[in-house]
Amino acid sequence: MKRSKAHRNLKNFIFWMLFPTFTIVAILTYYPTIKGILLAFEDYTVFTFQNIQFVGWQNFETIFSDPNFFIALWNTVWWIALSVAFQFVLGFALALLMRKPFRGRGVYAGIVFYPWALSGFALGILWSWLLNGQFGLINDILMKLHLIHHGIDFLSNPSYAFISVIAVNVWYGIPFFAIMILAALQSIPNSLYEAAEIDGAGSVSKFFNVTLPYIKPTVVSTLLLRVIWVMNFPDIIYGMTKGGPAGSTNILATYMINIVYFESDYSKASAVGLIIISILTAYALTYLKFTSSYELGEI
Amino acid sequence: MRREKKISKVLRFFFLSIYLIAAIVPLYWIFLTSVKSPHEVYAYPIVYWPKHISFESYKFLFGFANFAQYFKNSLFVSITASFLAMSFSILSGYIMARYKFRFKKFLIITLFLAQMIPAYLLMIPQYTMFSKLGMINNLWALVIVYVNIAASFSTIMARGFFSRIPRSLEEAAMIDGTSRIGAIFRVTLPLSLPGIAAIFSFSFVNTWNELFTAVLFINSNSKMTVPVALNSFISKAGIQWNVMSAGLIVALLPTIIVFAFAQRYIVAGLTQGAVKE
Amino acid sequence: MKVKILVVFSVLVIALFAMSFAANTVTLNMIQVFTSPQRTHVLETIIKEFEALHPNVHINLISPPYESAYQKVYLMLSTNQPLDIVEVGDWSLEGVVQLGKMENLEPYIAKWSGAKDLIPGLLKAVRVTGGKAYIIPNGVYAKALFYRPDILAKFGITQPPATMKELYNDCLKITNPTKNQYGFDFRGTGLPTNFIDIITTSYLNDIDPSNMYKLKNGKLWFKDPRALEGLKLYLNFYKNTAPKDSINWGFDAQVNAFVAGTTPFLFQDPDTTGLLNSMLKKGQYKTAPLPVGPSGKVYPSYGFGGWGIPNYSKHKELAWEFIKFFTTPMISAYFCKEYGALPVLKSVYEDDPYFSSGVFEGWKKMFSDPQKYVFTSYPLANPAWTRWTKYQQDTMQQALLGRITLDQLTTKWYNFWKKAFGM
Repeated sequence: MKRSKAHRNLKNFIFWMLFPTFTIVAILTYYPTIKGILLAFEDYTVFTFQNIQFVGWQNFETIFSDPNFFIALWNTVWWIALSVAFQFVLGFALALLMRKPFRGRGVYAGIVFYPWALSGFALGILWSWLLNGQFGLINDILMKLHLIHHGIDFLSNPSYAFISVIAVNVWYGIPFFAIMILAALQSIPNSLYEAAEIDGAGSVSKFFNVTLPYIKPTVVSTLLLRVIWVMNFPDIIYGMTKGGPAGSTNILATYMINIVYFESDYSKASAVGLIIISILTAYALTYLKFTSSYELGEI
Repeated sequence: MRREKKISKVLRFFFLSIYLIAAIVPLYWIFLTSVKSPHEVYAYPIVYWPKHISFESYKFLFGFANFAQYFKNSLFVSITASFLAMSFSILSGYIMARYKFRFKKFLIITLFLAQMIPAYLLMIPQYTMFSKLGMINNLWALVIVYVNIAASFSTIMARGFFSRIPRSLEEAAMIDGTSRIGAIFRVTLPLSLPGIAAIFSFSFVNTWNELFTAVLFINSNSKMTVPVALNSFISKAGIQWNVMSAGLIVALLPTIIVFAFAQRYIVAGLTQGAVKE
Repeated sequence: MKVKILVVFSVLVIALFAMSFAANTVTLNMIQVFTSPQRTHVLETIIKEFEALHPNVHINLISPPYESAYQKVYLMLSTNQPLDIVEVGDWSLEGVVQLGKMENLEPYIAKWSGAKDLIPGLLKAVRVTGGKAYIIPNGVYAKALFYRPDILAKFGITQPPATMKELYNDCLKITNPTKNQYGFDFRGTGLPTNFIDIITTSYLNDIDPSNMYKLKNGKLWFKDPRALEGLKLYLNFYKNTAPKDSINWGFDAQVNAFVAGTTPFLFQDPDTTGLLNSMLKKGQYKTAPLPVGPSGKVYPSYGFGGWGIPNYSKHKELAWEFIKFFTTPMISAYFCKEYGALPVLKSVYEDDPYFSSGVFEGWKKMFSDPQKYVFTSYPLANPAWTRWTKYQQDTMQQALLGRITLDQLTTKWYNFWKKAFGM
């Protein structure tokens, strides 16, 4: 009798502690998501607003018959792979460099980490200005240093444009990884390093045998989340190129925005959204399959 | 050995400087543009050192453009939302880290899945919801939406931080006669301050910069948030870069302050010793 | 106790007062779609004038950022948000009206004496959906040739080109990439429909004035060899007389390049004058009619924006009052001068010397010769229209980059409109 009362109390305790978070997520994320998914199977545009019909897979058929969709899909893969890889490696390196205290580290962190605190969209248009082929700051500096003679068409040559948007995204994302990894590095007990030193480990060996295993859970979870966020992050590209020229910097997220802005076809946009969710779910499941539960425990 | 140390020190300094330059050039440029006079902004050849510092764009910002009001709105929305999201995530993150119960795995997956949903998918359903509640053009609607944006990720993070704190510390306190809630407040929370600071600052940065919902939900000039105001400096006629830059500088201030606070916890590793066995 | 009663009583009195006051004041919600800080200021000035004449009316101006403005209009209208006056531009008119939330303004126009003062053909142009007017235009836009006499004089060019061929040769003559000097202020992005069509159609002498994409015999012109010549010229403008970067130029970049003198020939709307007047000295720029093509003609089009009323508005009569007020000669002239649009009223052209001054030279000449300058309509009522402008831009960019040939390009366009017109 007493036991079951305690059990009931515990159950109540768990329920009410979870209640606020999951109520808001259910009402504001999941309910509208279901509505949005239903939208993907209708023909909701401004032209059909007065008579919206269920159209089955028609929106998906339209999307899959559009060659630009596949360009955007392929671009998305490269966008994620290159952005996240460089953000991670460079962020990791920065965290390692900042691990040991030095004079002015606080101020240094403040300056190096600030890109993270700016809005992606504002940064996008700022960089499109800096990278302007005619009047841009970057070209001007390069010409002053006599590295180039003509302005580089950073954003008008399709292949440069794609590299440029990725480079800016890398620049933007380094602080995130640096902060997360730095926080994890700070929590490694010094005793572990001392023990390794007694065993005669060099700095390379210390890195692989102490540092890496200790922060692995953080790395695993931040990489997982980062890929998801970067895929759904159109801000920088939209600010810089809107997906152009000729769709060469489109990723699925900007492809979706362009459908909303230029076609006002909300159902087709929702269908793209559903495709994005499906890809990410498949990715997350695969990722988690190859990750042990210990590592997941961190997340 | 000493030579090796010196080389590594020089290398470290060198690489740290590269990061610094990459970060500081655009920042310097934003600042410079904000204190240029309008005709110097678009001048070609580019003006690197303005002849005299002009605060015209800041005057425009706070006079003509009513920026102080937007700033206040943004502070209200972001602080309230981040605080609520932080509180919610402490509650749910703690449970997720400490207890085993049915549907736990399912709930964790829903939090992850919530990260995957593109904002544009939610646009029409969310707008319709809030319009039915009569909450369009209402700053509280933004607060609610922002809590939702921040809550799922914050819970994921909080769960991670709490699970690192040994359960034994709480149990020890409870043996001393403290209640479960008391133990959480007196033992667990202080130990996880770095995590909580990180959660707050992440939520703050995300909500402070949120543009998409704010643009659609807010109608009145007096209720606009900072990102919406910045966005409205972009017109068909292009961007008033001096005003925009001044706006970016001002918009950067709160996030830097929040980050400076959080950083003391995140970077300095205050937990050392206390948590580790 | 007494204090309590007193407090309750005074609260009641204040509440009653506030309520009766609120009942007398009407708030109109008005949304603009071409927001810029300066434009907002102009509109607020006009609103203040109106409020001074109508002490019980308060107008709340909603100014969404330019890029997302229509998304906001769509969402607000579709969920019946409080709105009384809505601005809509020509390209989005059909979409907004199809939401079924706009008031048919024909009955209002029938009773409105001011309607007679509207410039000829304007109401016809506005009647896009089912031949009915849903907005009253607040400004008219049409492309003319802007040029920089100061820059051109250095190259010995003293007269603006009268034909496309002359324009191209002038541009070629002055282009010198090593000195960052180019000729044509190319438009690669930001929906360059007008720019592409003006140059291309100038090679055809039989465009249907009611549909830019059809010939008078009802056929699409995309597969016409003359159109191919026109597109070739357009492509050559990009390749030989404009910077590579201009594939990314929208309106603002065009204006900046024009002001910098990099590209001294620009096709643009009158709203550019407002900007240029603040960035250039008097006489540094002039306007001329658009150059004509080998057909001896050129086909500009009228663009317009205007005010409409949602059919669920509770204050339709007051909203109409405001729209009428906005369309009086004084206010219309003020708005067009400050914002840089062509006035919608005949009397403004006749009475206000500003609109017959040198800046407006180009338009004046174009309006006076309808044989040469054939104002032509776009198929704005076609639901494919919104998709078209972006599609045309993207495919044109592919051609500019050499990824597709002009033949492939015209086939794509032909197929697009064949399907859209149900031919």
